[in-house]
Amino acid sequence: MSHNKPLEAFKDSAALSLGVELELQLVSKRDFDLTRGATDLIGALNYDERFGEIKLEITESMIEISTLPRLTVDGIAADLGGLRDTLLSHCERNNIGVCGGGTHPFHHWPERRICPGDRFDQIYQRYGYLAKQFTVFGQHIHVGCTSADDAIWLTQALGVYVPAFIALSASSPFVDGVDSFYQSARLNAVSAFPLSGQCPALDSWAHFVEHFGFLQACGIAQGIKDLYWDVRPKPEFGTVEIRVCDTPLSIEQASSLAALAQSLSRWLLRTRPPLATGKQAHVARYNKFQACRYGLDAMISDPVALCQIPLKESLGSLLEDLAEDARALGCEHWLNPLRRMVAENTGDAKWLRTQQSQHGNLNDVVRQASACLRRKDNPFLEKNS
Amino acid sequence: MMGKYLPPMLENLLGLPRQLWESLLERLFFLPPFPEQIDSLALFSLLLVVGLLIGEWLHAHARWPKVIGYVLAGILFGPSLLGWINVEALAQARPIADAALGLLMMEVGRRLDLSWLRRNPELLRSTLADITLSFALIFGFALWLVGLTPAWAAATAAVTMASAPAVVLLTVEEARAQGQVTERIILHTAIGSAASFVAFALVLGIVHAELSEDWLNALVHPLWVFVGALLVGGLGTWLALGIARSLPKRSLAQVFVLVACALLAVGVARMLAVPVFLTLFLMGVLLAARDSRQTLRYTALPEGHWLLAIILFVIVGASLPWHEFTWLAGIQALGLLLVRAIAKTGALAWSGGSLPLPKRLLVGMGIQPLSATAVFMAYEIASLYPEVGRSALTLPLFAAAMMELLGPALCRLALRTSGECEAGDHGRGGIG
Repeated sequence: MSHNKPLEAFKDSAALSLGVELELQLVSKRDFDLTRGATDLIGALNYDERFGEIKLEITESMIEISTLPRLTVDGIAADLGGLRDTLLSHCERNNIGVCGGGTHPFHHWPERRICPGDRFDQIYQRYGYLAKQFTVFGQHIHVGCTSADDAIWLTQALGVYVPAFIALSASSPFVDGVDSFYQSARLNAVSAFPLSGQCPALDSWAHFVEHFGFLQACGIAQGIKDLYWDVRPKPEFGTVEIRVCDTPLSIEQASSLAALAQSLSRWLLRTRPPLATGKQAHVARYNKFQACRYGLDAMISDPVALCQIPLKESLGSLLEDLAEDARALGCEHWLNPLRRMVAENTGDAKWLRTQQSQHGNLNDVVRQASACLRRKDNPFLEKNS
Repeated sequence: MMGKYLPPMLENLLGLPRQLWESLLERLFFLPPFPEQIDSLALFSLLLVVGLLIGEWLHAHARWPKVIGYVLAGILFGPSLLGWINVEALAQARPIADAALGLLMMEVGRRLDLSWLRRNPELLRSTLADITLSFALIFGFALWLVGLTPAWAAATAAVTMASAPAVVLLTVEEARAQGQVTERIILHTAIGSAASFVAFALVLGIVHAELSEDWLNALVHPLWVFVGALLVGGLGTWLALGIARSLPKRSLAQVFVLVACALLAVGVARMLAVPVFLTLFLMGVLLAARDSRQTLRYTALPEGHWLLAIILFVIVGASLPWHEFTWLAGIQALGLLLVRAIAKTGALAWSGGSLPLPKRLLVGMGIQPLSATAVFMAYEIASLYPEVGRSALTLPLFAAAMMELLGPALCRLALRTSGECEAGDHGRGGIG
């Protein structure tokens, strides 16, 4: 237990402020397979962090960009654009391509290399091959809370909307060179970790501290970073972190998802709907599977109304309900792409499959996906508009 | 062709079977005469197995790169030592060596990414520095310190200025290396090779001009070599892309088409006396440049082509003139290698494009190999005027002979120290 880190006090942050982290793929410009190069890239990077950070992730084929805390989605989009442009120009100088998407469609995981660093080494020693298989790419969205109790409440409330975030971000249909049939296969790699899944039914910060102390006492978790929950409080940032999204193919889609998180959080905190957390716990894994497997076509179980509802239907009405809050936050224009996506039943996973059927191979799929990240528009929207 | 020219030890060994065979021949009229020549395929497989065994043994017991083992097998069984592979056998195996070298050169050409230089001008500076410094220092060394004539000094510099593409590719493949040091070693090797080929073509003209004052040959021979290689390489590219376009990408059929077109280019180049290494290098460059639809971009050569590389290095080992070794020649070759090493590391120390100095120096170490292309180029130039060429090119041949053994080890050391090898992935989880 000597390695246990005491839980930090919850640092209050500006209400509904945002921060976004994106894990991106480093690919060879020759064949578009994953390549190793993160440490060299970071080592030679001359950047003043004006848009946020560019940092290592678990393996040498991944790189993470994270924005500064911003009050608006426009601010987040500007940071993400700046980070993308900085990273792309640096990668161009080193002949490395960068790509979005939740999984690399055909990389061979044993070839992955763990990045230098004590934390990465500890993860590798603890989880073995799972650490290399964890070469999957997600988007994490932080929403600022003004109090610790609000953060715990919001963590529970957002849990119900996990399938929505999964379906709207799904961009990992291919794994190990084959079509997985999933829209988001990335989360299957995450679910292998013992502390993944849902946050248990907790009703206050005190209750969370007690639960975390219990996990530490049992030797299950040493620090908050060991909890790979779908939605978790992040006391040192004063935020709630949504961790289930695949990294989309474009920065614009990532910004739209941030807009959804911000306006949904505002709506939830403003209306405070009753939470059936106990009942939700029984259907959460099933609903998550539905969203991963079927995306927008998922059928979501409602443990209160005791029925199944098509996700597309509930998402459509949710996006309408959020209009007022989005307007108040100045991010309604970022929700429009999501509305079109739901109406037209499209998305990154579908776009990737279309590319695969057009080109007949996955190298070209990654080449096209890599071009998407460079473009300043959303690929599937352009295709369908 | 072992028969009449068999070394005494083999001749003695074959004495009894020959007598037995000849006595049977009187009774069994269907028997052919005692085979005086070894069949090409049998020779091929013998070289393959012996090279493979020595390479694998050294790799397993001493952790040496396998290439060193293949070369040692060639030296051991070649004319310099045991003499089991004689000059005729070498000539017989040459088409296979040409095919192996051709495929490797095509692969290097395909990896020549000139757009990277545009995106990173510092790399342009370091590659230009590598090329000019290597040529200038080796030329100066050969001219002033060794005392060669300007033409042979230029030939020596042209032959030895670049790294060895075949050794570099094999070492990278063997170590499963990946990363910035690896990529830059490959880039420097490919661009250095391109520059040395241009210098080689020019040197052909210079040698003609100096030795025979035959201006027609001095002008036309470099053109023949360069334009011929371009046309044959272009033909191979056009055929490969044209046929492969109708086949599924990355299919086995595409692999066959690629290999078949490469071998066709090797054959035509041999027929026209155009250097195979240059032809196939240009074919690789054209394949990468003309493939706007990514038809063959992702189609890799089959794993089996490394088997051909074993033959290549056994033959290169056997071709090295160790029997002509003198201490003076050895010291001069060492001097050349030293000057060359200074040029390459100096160029990388001066500039290297967004890589820290220690890693740039590792790139400098990784591009030290000198091998098959240098040996083949030297023999190609020497054959123009055999009476003087052979002795005039002793220096680059000995330099290649020494680097043949040291180069793969240096390249491997550079890759290992950079932490980019798959083998370094043990212990602390590949952290280093």
